[in-house]
Amino acid sequence: MSTLSKRKRIFLVIIVCITGIFQTGCAFKDINKRAFVAGIGIDPGEDDDEKYKVTLKIAIPIGSLKQAKGPTYSYLSYEGETIGESIRMLETHIDKTLEFGHAKILVINEKLLSDDLGQFMDYFTRRGDLQLIAWVAAGRPSAEQVLKTEPETESPASVALFNFFDDSGTESPYITTTFLFQFRRDFFAIGLDSVLPLVEASENGKELIINNSLVVKDKQDPLELTPVETKDYNSLASGMVGFSYKVKHGDLTLLLNIDTVKMNYKIITEQGSPPRVDMNVKMIGIIGESSTDLAFKNLKKYNEYASKAMEKKVVKLLTILQENELDPFGFGLRYRATRLSNKNTISKWNSMYPNLEFDVTVDVELKSTGAIE
Amino acid sequence: MTKKSQGEPTPPDLMVELAGKLKPSSDVQQIPLQIEEKQAFLLYLKTVVDGLQLQNIVIKPFFELSSERHFEAYVNSLPNKVKMPAKEELLIELTKGNVLLVIQDRFVLLDLRKVNSDTVLQTTIEPTIHGPQLALSESLETNINLIRQRYHDSSLKIETMQLSDQSHRSIAILYDEKVVKKSILKAVKKKLNQLDTPLVQSSGDFQLYLTDKKFTLFPNTIITERPDRIIYNLTGGKVVLLVDGSPHSIVLPVVFFDFLVSMEDVYHAFWIAKLTILLRYIALVICITLPGLYVAVTSYSPEVFRTELALTVAGSRIGVPYPSFIEVLFMLVFIELLTEASIRLPKAISATATTVGGLILGTAVTEAALASNIMIIVVSLVAISTFVIPVNEMSYSMRISRLFLLGYASLFGLAGVILGFLGIIIYLVNRESFGEPYLRIVAKNREEEAKGDNK
Repeated sequence: MSTLSKRKRIFLVIIVCITGIFQTGCAFKDINKRAFVAGIGIDPGEDDDEKYKVTLKIAIPIGSLKQAKGPTYSYLSYEGETIGESIRMLETHIDKTLEFGHAKILVINEKLLSDDLGQFMDYFTRRGDLQLIAWVAAGRPSAEQVLKTEPETESPASVALFNFFDDSGTESPYITTTFLFQFRRDFFAIGLDSVLPLVEASENGKELIINNSLVVKDKQDPLELTPVETKDYNSLASGMVGFSYKVKHGDLTLLLNIDTVKMNYKIITEQGSPPRVDMNVKMIGIIGESSTDLAFKNLKKYNEYASKAMEKKVVKLLTILQENELDPFGFGLRYRATRLSNKNTISKWNSMYPNLEFDVTVDVELKSTGAIE
Repeated sequence: MTKKSQGEPTPPDLMVELAGKLKPSSDVQQIPLQIEEKQAFLLYLKTVVDGLQLQNIVIKPFFELSSERHFEAYVNSLPNKVKMPAKEELLIELTKGNVLLVIQDRFVLLDLRKVNSDTVLQTTIEPTIHGPQLALSESLETNINLIRQRYHDSSLKIETMQLSDQSHRSIAILYDEKVVKKSILKAVKKKLNQLDTPLVQSSGDFQLYLTDKKFTLFPNTIITERPDRIIYNLTGGKVVLLVDGSPHSIVLPVVFFDFLVSMEDVYHAFWIAKLTILLRYIALVICITLPGLYVAVTSYSPEVFRTELALTVAGSRIGVPYPSFIEVLFMLVFIELLTEASIRLPKAISATATTVGGLILGTAVTEAALASNIMIIVVSLVAISTFVIPVNEMSYSMRISRLFLLGYASLFGLAGVILGFLGIIIYLVNRESFGEPYLRIVAKNREEEAKGDNK
């Protein structure tokens, strides 16, 4: 090889190396060329021909966080036959790539919940970049309005809706938290119904209220739980604490601050007696407020009063659910799991559930009267 | 020797021959000593010999002692007397500062060298707070003295040999006979005997000649200036090489984790030492992976960030004209320039360089939207982490490794970072330092420990 060709070759290698430095992989897309979808809302189509209306809440990045007054969002809506189709079309409405990696909230109009949920849920569980740890919520009056609500307390570069659910902001037993994976699993599980938080947008578009929840069952109108029922459900099913219970006994009114709730139950089907659920609830807390002076030595008495009052509340919640043939606690699933399975198991349970008796024992353990004697 | 009865005495033939070879250097001194019946000849190079010592040890007694026989006996008992080398090496010995003395046809070589580089230096490369503050000197004998004075054990063996290159430098091999691994010692000696190098200047280039591979990224030996690190490694069974004229010693063999040991660890309480070691490993990971991670996460998988961070990063990149990896590359080159500049510049100016470069340029770059704020944080963090690695050579290696990871990240995203990291680990596992696995984890279970290294 002559020296010249060797030089040429070295020169070529250098050129290739230098140009190679400025190449990237195929999926390379700079972060400022992506539009971060913060939430997805689904409403029934306003146009009669179209089935769904998809709304995307897009968070706009802020250059200087210190000078920003609040978060800025942009909203995109499209009506289409399917959700996938609508999102594809929405990609043509924006100059940046839609990035679903941060779409952590999925708001479904409450009217859609009585529809065939399984079908449109499919899209979200299949899509790889949409994370299954997204939260699912029902929206009222519409998903679009819920997404478009921008609370005044929302700080720049943070999404208020996330703070409700991720326990880094407010923590309350009135707020039900349902993940997408959980919702889908509960939805398809036989003997268990899923519960969704209901997000209400105030009329002035400045406030979000989340304290109700909906028990959803396929092809059936959802049952709305009142805030108190939601709280009772959350504390029993997921042990959520940080709430107060009011107990009345004669003149005495006590407000209990409960910090631990433990619940377990057994389904008892014995020959000769009607099937029943034995539920034991243990609550530990202190007295937070009282109408009269309390004595520490009477703590046992207060425990009894509280236990009686609690039992009533729990039985009431269970009865409401039973009357509507809804089962968010998953009694049916437990029954199926603990009985010898055959093809009749579930139909047997379905006929048994409306007549099920609830035997609830609540054991309240108050640690103090809440005052120093 | 032919003697004339009177007038100038004639020096022996060998001495004339040697002097001829050394000419026309102006510092060659060939001095006849003569009084009455006594006669002797001196041959030496004036510039490398301590004249005062020569005067006191050789010349004065010559005139004081009564006869040549007395003088010869005196000279033979001098501690400066060196073993007579072969004729070919005599010239080298003379250039080292030895004095050739001829009495009564007998040749004697005396070591009266003058070394001006034997001041013990302050530690500059690996300073510690609690450890010894003095490093080595640039003279081999002083260095051996420093080490001997810290390690009084007869099992410490010091073998000196002379390199066959142009500089004919002396080197010393130090090891503790009780703990050194014989196979390594043998390998090192073999390597030293086979060395065929044109010129050795210092420990730095010498250690490169000791490695077989030409294209290496990670150092195969540790170069250290700290006597305490030398002792620490000697007791650990390692071999230490000292090169005359270099204030650094070479410690071998090494494993990767040796480069993350600072002598400070020995001087601190248990938990403090453990915390600083942990910090060092965190810094290591940061300095290798962070530039790559930044590119991979911002340009391939921003879902890894928290939403708030993703929005902030996206916001800080508004208006940055180049893709993230160019931005990183640009800033890394910038910080490398800054580091290089502050090393090369005189100490008085280097502070200015870092201020101008680091503070003013850094701010201006973000103001001009050439790089994002987050990028400046990333680059500064990387630079600081690099300085945490205690042994300088390893931090150089890390500076190159992270460019490699950056390349992988800009091609394959997060998976590329993992892949590249795996690649580095595979490369390290594949390496050996004088027969010892490079990425060997020191911790062993008791059974293995008992078995030892004898396979």
